[in-house]
Amino acid sequence: MDRRVVVTGIGMVTPLGIGKEAFGAALLRAETAVREIEGFPTGNLPSHLGAELRAFEPREFISLKNLRKMDRLSAMVTASARMALDEAKIRIDEGNRDRIGIVMGTAFGNSELKVNSARTLFTEGPGMVNPIHMPNTVMNAPAGHASIELGFRGVNTTINHLAVSAETAIAYGAMEIRRGAADVILAGGADILSPFFYETLTRFKALSPTDAGPEGARPFDIARNGPVMGEGSGIVCLEASDLALERGAAPYAEIIGWGLGSSPSPPTGWPDGPRGFVLALERAMRMAGVSPQEIDCIQAEGNGGCRLDGLEAAAYQQVFGAAGARPLITSLKGATGEIFASGGIRAAALALSLREGIVPPTAGLSAPLCSLPFVIGKEVRSPLQLGLLSGISFGGTYACLVMKRP
Amino acid sequence: MLGVNAAAKNPEEQRVVVTGMGTVNAIAGDPREFAAALRRGDCGIGPITLFDTAAFRTHNGAQIRNFAPRSVIPEEISLKRMSRSDGMALVAALQALSQAGLYPVPEGLKDEMGVIIGGGAGGLLEAETVFQGYLKTEGRKARFSRLASVSCASTANHLVNAFGLWGPKASIMTACSSGATAVGLGRDLIRGGAGRAMIVGGTEPLCRMTFASFNALKAVDPDYCRPFSGNRGGLTLGEAAGVLVLESLAHARQRGATILGEVLGYGVTCDSHHMTAPDVGASGAIRSMQAALADAGLAPEEVDYINAHGTATPPNDLMETRAIKAVFGRQAGQIPVSSTKSMHGHTLGAAGALEAVVSLIAITEGFIPPTIHRETQDPECDLDYVTQGARPTAPDIVLSNSFAFGGNNTTVIFGRCRQEVRRG
Repeated sequence: MDRRVVVTGIGMVTPLGIGKEAFGAALLRAETAVREIEGFPTGNLPSHLGAELRAFEPREFISLKNLRKMDRLSAMVTASARMALDEAKIRIDEGNRDRIGIVMGTAFGNSELKVNSARTLFTEGPGMVNPIHMPNTVMNAPAGHASIELGFRGVNTTINHLAVSAETAIAYGAMEIRRGAADVILAGGADILSPFFYETLTRFKALSPTDAGPEGARPFDIARNGPVMGEGSGIVCLEASDLALERGAAPYAEIIGWGLGSSPSPPTGWPDGPRGFVLALERAMRMAGVSPQEIDCIQAEGNGGCRLDGLEAAAYQQVFGAAGARPLITSLKGATGEIFASGGIRAAALALSLREGIVPPTAGLSAPLCSLPFVIGKEVRSPLQLGLLSGISFGGTYACLVMKRP
Repeated sequence: MLGVNAAAKNPEEQRVVVTGMGTVNAIAGDPREFAAALRRGDCGIGPITLFDTAAFRTHNGAQIRNFAPRSVIPEEISLKRMSRSDGMALVAALQALSQAGLYPVPEGLKDEMGVIIGGGAGGLLEAETVFQGYLKTEGRKARFSRLASVSCASTANHLVNAFGLWGPKASIMTACSSGATAVGLGRDLIRGGAGRAMIVGGTEPLCRMTFASFNALKAVDPDYCRPFSGNRGGLTLGEAAGVLVLESLAHARQRGATILGEVLGYGVTCDSHHMTAPDVGASGAIRSMQAALADAGLAPEEVDYINAHGTATPPNDLMETRAIKAVFGRQAGQIPVSSTKSMHGHTLGAAGALEAVVSLIAITEGFIPPTIHRETQDPECDLDYVTQGARPTAPDIVLSNSFAFGGNNTTVIFGRCRQEVRRG
């Protein structure tokens, strides 16, 4: 069984807005959620900015009984899963619950809870470790909680591969629908900002300012000096196209190809060149049966990181520039910060772009590092048929998706 | 859809076989030793020495003793910034690649070979030491660079680096079913044409955080685990890596590789019930076995051996026994079921991959490994648990279960590779 896969709903809990309306509107206005961090002191650290989730009220989405057992990350994921299902107008019942599943991505899981549990263990002793917290420190907790709250019992998997966790999860979800193992998969990713993790990233010199210049997220800008960290959750509701058609759903897009890849790289660093990413791009387009000239827009990975953005731009020049293709390129990392398992939010943003025919501007970008067609300052309105979602992680892992307007 | 359906033309491209396997665990340092230990019914459970357990409620585990990766890993592969967990997986991957005749990986295969690893604690053992330093100095000092390998993704990253690969790479973290799901995803990537060969597996180290968590949940037997026994009192945590080399039957044939077995089917479901307690109705486990059977195109009676999840927690073993009865009906009592966790412990994220190795050993070596430590009867656990030592019958088809906290269930079915085309 090789079924086609469409996106019939999206759900997002992001610092830029909860739900697609708030998120989409803020993105169009080129707003940014990057501010001084309020959730914890950043006192002596070299970085102070972050895109924190502020207006999230999980009670609007989750029953009190289940919410009491959830950690913050699980609540974010469960809320976005509910939004995606609601928008797709899928009601879970006895008849369909075994055919509905979830494939989540998270780069670091609930790092805050893990650190707090470790603190208890090492300062108060093993007798004081709270057994309620343990299951929530594991990466698959959000998917488990979402399944309990929403009542679906099909495929359930969590991808835990750094910054491509969510893109890989979406590809996996699409594979499960294609092979007939599920009819609907909630796929995406989520990560949170936490104090110890934030501090760790600054010690790795992974956050802006890694170089001269003021702190800030400036994707693909010549003055970029590192990413700013964000937090959030984004889920796309993937559905077998025959079933979506049958029930009269109006899909955002069809997922027509994906390409996964890797390159030998330092475990927490970047490869020497773009070859691994180029291979993944080519694999995704080959599977989709499309040429670089046909891609209308790219939802890029670029986050203001010196190496990442350079690597990504070099690959685009090689794959698109050399073929005379001029897809519009945008990144939302200047607005949401780097959320690591950001691919769910970015897939949702790309789905919105394809539906509305709007490519939002790249917040934080004013002087691009090369002559690629980055969207700067103001949105571009144009009919869009094919969009590309790029996923690139430190450590040399790649996951790209091609989405087509139905 | 070019590149994907192109593969569907040749049914041998759609059949995925195992051509290499590797493991390090508490009872063996490689698959050959593992086969002998499983046949003898060795127990790898004893006092943990990897860290100080004095403050804990229990002290036993299935630890890998005298693990020295440098002595078995060629000099050209750097072990820099590798965690214990990474090192275990690397040793197992080298064994698997060598058995498959793919080490060093041929240049022409590097672009089309990838790595899927199921993880658990990842580099947490090392991170704990960093964090202890951080707490001791009130945050002023800690060797943050040692956190480089904390993520589960570190293992797949290191393997790709060690072997120079450019194919698909992913890490799966669904607690105790990670390793089994990695096998399934690897199979589907090959079927979909995303890679010609995949290194798949799982790795899990013992560490303080995991030990503390399972102790806090009172899920650990202070002595040793007794799967399906009337007096069972919990699991024994273990550590292991299990790795398989998967490739399409066409690719294996083309290069004349020895085929150890075939991945016939897999199924993934969830309980949607409770984060740590299994569903007494066993619906998730029943559906994962049924999904795997349907995927393999097999009837229940064709299964010759069930490699159980069998953790020895009172609820799991009862739930799994009920699930087997529901799926296999009147035949349930005739199918041998064993939990090799009684020997190598519960290796969490590695378990599904380690037990994939067990399943393939059963097929290639022609015996059914026993459940040891079944000391008393449980009237509700009344299947054939192979408690009188290894049984010299050669299974053709083995079903392996992995169930996890979070309600994740994965079942993988392995079979002796038949010459005729099974489907298509």
